Amino acid sequence: MSSEEIRILAPAGAAKTIRRELSRRRFLSFAAAASSAGLLAACAPTGSPTTARASGGPLESKLSIYTWGDYDAPDVLDAFTADLGPKISLSAFNSNEEMVAKLVGARGTSGYDIVVPTGTFVAQMAEHGLLAKLNHDLIPNLKHVDPTFLGRAWDPDNEYSICKAWGTTGFVYDVTAIDRELKDWNDFIDAAQNEASGRTSLLDDPSEITGIYFWANGIPWTTTDPDDLDAAEAFLVNELAPHISAFDSYPGGSAIPQATQMLMQSYNGDARLGILESPEPERWKYVLGSPATEIWMDNWAIAAGAPNPEAAHAFIDYVLSPENALAELDYIGYDTGAKGIEQVASDAGLPMLDLVFFTPEQVATMHEGELTEAQERVVQIWNATKAAAGA
Amino acid sequence: MRKRLPGFLLAAPAWAWLAVFFVAPVGMVVWFSFGYKPSIFATQATDRLSFDRYAEVFSPTFFATFQNTLWVGVVGTVLCFLIGLPVAYWMAVKAPPSRRGLLVALVMVPFWTNFLVRTLGWQVILSPDGWLSTALQGIGFEPLAILNTRGAVLLGVVYNYLPLMILPLFVAFDRVNGPLREASKDLGAGKWTTFFRITLPLAQPGIIAGVLLVFIPLMGDYITATVLGGAKGNMVGQLVASQFQTAQNWALGSAMAVVLIIVILATVAVGAAIVWLVTLPIRASHRLVIGAPATAPASASIHEEVAA
Amino acid sequence: MTTATTTEAEAATTSSPGAEAPGTVVIDAVTKHYGDSTAVDRLSLTIEAGEFISLLGPSGCGKTTTLRMIAGFEEPDDGDIRVSGRSVLGVPPYRRDVNTVFQAYALFPHMSVAENVAYGLQQKRTPKAEIHDRVVDALDLAQMRRFADRKPTQLSGGQQQRVALARALVNRPSVLLLDEPLGALDRQLREEMQLELKLLQSRLGVTFVFVTHDQGEALSMSDRIAIMRSGRIEQLADADTVYARPASAYVAAFVGQQNFFSGTVVEGGTAVDSTHALVRGTSAGLPAGGTGLAAVRPEFVSIEADVAADASGAANTARGSLIGVSHLGETMQYLVRLGDDQSLIARRPSPEAPQLSVGDAVVCSWRAESVLLFPADDAASASGYVAPPTV
Repeated sequence: MSSEEIRILAPAGAAKTIRRELSRRRFLSFAAAASSAGLLAACAPTGSPTTARASGGPLESKLSIYTWGDYDAPDVLDAFTADLGPKISLSAFNSNEEMVAKLVGARGTSGYDIVVPTGTFVAQMAEHGLLAKLNHDLIPNLKHVDPTFLGRAWDPDNEYSICKAWGTTGFVYDVTAIDRELKDWNDFIDAAQNEASGRTSLLDDPSEITGIYFWANGIPWTTTDPDDLDAAEAFLVNELAPHISAFDSYPGGSAIPQATQMLMQSYNGDARLGILESPEPERWKYVLGSPATEIWMDNWAIAAGAPNPEAAHAFIDYVLSPENALAELDYIGYDTGAKGIEQVASDAGLPMLDLVFFTPEQVATMHEGELTEAQERVVQIWNATKAAAGA
Repeated sequence: MRKRLPGFLLAAPAWAWLAVFFVAPVGMVVWFSFGYKPSIFATQATDRLSFDRYAEVFSPTFFATFQNTLWVGVVGTVLCFLIGLPVAYWMAVKAPPSRRGLLVALVMVPFWTNFLVRTLGWQVILSPDGWLSTALQGIGFEPLAILNTRGAVLLGVVYNYLPLMILPLFVAFDRVNGPLREASKDLGAGKWTTFFRITLPLAQPGIIAGVLLVFIPLMGDYITATVLGGAKGNMVGQLVASQFQTAQNWALGSAMAVVLIIVILATVAVGAAIVWLVTLPIRASHRLVIGAPATAPASASIHEEVAA
Repeated sequence: MTTATTTEAEAATTSSPGAEAPGTVVIDAVTKHYGDSTAVDRLSLTIEAGEFISLLGPSGCGKTTTLRMIAGFEEPDDGDIRVSGRSVLGVPPYRRDVNTVFQAYALFPHMSVAENVAYGLQQKRTPKAEIHDRVVDALDLAQMRRFADRKPTQLSGGQQQRVALARALVNRPSVLLLDEPLGALDRQLREEMQLELKLLQSRLGVTFVFVTHDQGEALSMSDRIAIMRSGRIEQLADADTVYARPASAYVAAFVGQQNFFSGTVVEGGTAVDSTHALVRGTSAGLPAGGTGLAAVRPEFVSIEADVAADASGAANTARGSLIGVSHLGETMQYLVRLGDDQSLIARRPSPEAPQLSVGDAVVCSWRAESVLLFPADDAASASGYVAPPTV
């Protein structure tokens, strides 16, 4: 469903919310990776599908992109077809596991050219032959990507993936209701238990919730230590849950514009959109989680067996160009990781860029998630926290 | 004489449909629920069967969620019934017959919109900065603080499920046609007696349909509750979904689903038993059994008089 | 409402109770409109206690509306209705001393036969033992005791009809209203029930108000028949009078069958000169020179083979050709074509019926005493009364 269709059916205010509900960050959870891995183990193709390796030949007439809902600037897609020819067909998924399940089921015949997995999935997808190797010769614009966002642990040589966008987690609070400065996760917890009690929301995601406790207490949020997990559960269920009024992954959609809550854990891009849409933007303040928080990264990749590899490479190269990177950033509200884009965006007059770009010192405090055997326990803690909040 | 197909043959497609789309999936869920999640890389295994998943379901965490779900389900259904009954009665009995089609269409209007959109619409209306709150503040009230409470959940539930209650009730009342109610009044019964002894008992199939149509989906729904109730809208449906989608623990998710089915069936059974018990003395007082005549009827018969 | 009640009380007092015995129904200049159409038009009718009266007429004549006003399901727009000397205006059906047998019986499907019959007594808080006895008596009376514990759906139409009767009579109303109660029964059962109803009525002495469109039913049972037309009573008389001396062409047509001749009134108002016959009656009364209707019942018409071949017709004689002969059991019916636009029916008792074949030239004749003369009545013709068949 396109956002336009939704707008026809709903009041303008709601349409925005819905679009967001269906969009990218909805199902960001690493837990699913476990299952996908399970699926992979069970259904891994016996031989790697034959991938026609792109060699810079003529572009095919079509290109099929399988990505998160509403995650690409329509202008850029249209311009690509106008400039280079291939007609784009877009399909959307709601979660990494949904995308992986489809690729595994099709065994290289899915018909998708480009897919957009989250970083933590890339290594396992590549290992199980779901991704085709990229031909860097055909992506000269790779040189525009900031090296900070290349060579991540799950794909050190960017053999399979190139950063599309990245983001992080923090919180937003109502400065008219909380008249002290909140600086870190401990302040967040303290405010939630005091003046913002009953008006605080958390992200509806297992790792983000346990993350609050781990980040606040200097524990790696990928810990598998049962004592750490028990301590997190005890704290979340007994100390935090009674003060929580909602579990909302997109407070920017309605909670910030409608001032439903006082204090909201949120992703940076979502918080920025929410504040921009608020009738009183000066009422809201965004705080990056500290002393530690997360970083997530979504990536361009080409599916094994892609029928249009030349067009796929051409498209990735196209969106990495500085001007298209800016258009993408403007549309989705997250940093695409292009070199020097902060200056370009600033020159272009985009508002509130402090919620898009972060200093190297801040980036150093952001840590990537990881798939661990503690995942089931984390989900259990999430359920227990929600049950306690609902009691 | 034409040869008639045996009844069971005619019903075969229905049975096949039931078997493929109901019995088989439920059977699979029950089967999975006795299994376990063998590793973080698999969703379920059934090579070793146990009741362990059920033991997990009955942990205090999930028990609280079941309690909350049951509360929303029962109170929501009762509210829908109490509101839907007079509305449906009015539509079927009091409203001019020429307007009934229009009224039914109006009841259906919300269904023309997506379920999630409708519910989110209420979120907009009920928010503390929404127009309703602003209007209320304009006439001296406090800002609206109903969003993310159970009150908001019930409001959303009534809004989303009321048509499912009204429509079967309307059909049922419509079928208890005028002559039966007129006969009751003709025999000396007032409006209320007529309603409780004629209209309501004859509308029973519609009442049962309406209650089940509201209660069963409501017990599995978590969208309405989550969107409007926030943390207070924690429902079993969401637990089940999280086990299948997020935790990828199909065994535990299946056990939760099975327990949910059992809770629904048990609640319906308990509800039916309560209604049966409460109405028992009333029904007994109206009961009249004559039994077969001991001897031939007395000479009161007209035929015999004719003969005589 | 208080004032209304007071007015009713006064009305009841002023209508001098005692003058009207229990079981008397007085309809006093009652009018009832439905939108623009007038269902009952200033109708007045006094029904004596213990009388069996039929309201006879085609559908739409207002007979059912009249009945429903007596029962209390409709309120008159104007006029008064008194039952047993007391005005019932504004009195709900459940407080009127009348009971109704409905057209489709309206038995309660969720109650047994006995419970149906007991329903009315239960409303009056009758002691249980008495209810039992009276139900048994009523069921005996209707010969339905054997079926007491069955559900109505397990009964035949005739049995349901008896239950409906028992259910109404068990309340010992002073007036019983019957709304085409025999309409759904087959002919044999209907005739049986007519006899039973009449016997029952004379035995119980209850006033019966019987609505029907079947003249046979009305003739066989009623003490008096009120023939209704367009919301008014056209004639109120006993069966013999209605049959032998109908007050209008409408009544003549509705009760029994008639051969109508229309033409100019001649011979000082004693004869009608129609195309096919000069029809002469015994009395004057019609204005000479105008148009009039002469009517002769088929059973008064004799028929024989036309041997005279004498075209000069005498009065009360018609010549034509036989186009149909049918056995009606005790009588033979002959259909004679007089001309393109008129035919004639003659009926003779079977033993004395002449042997004639279709195609024979025949001559029909009748006595002046059997001729009825009426003014021309377009409305009667338009309202669809039984007119001679034109073949």
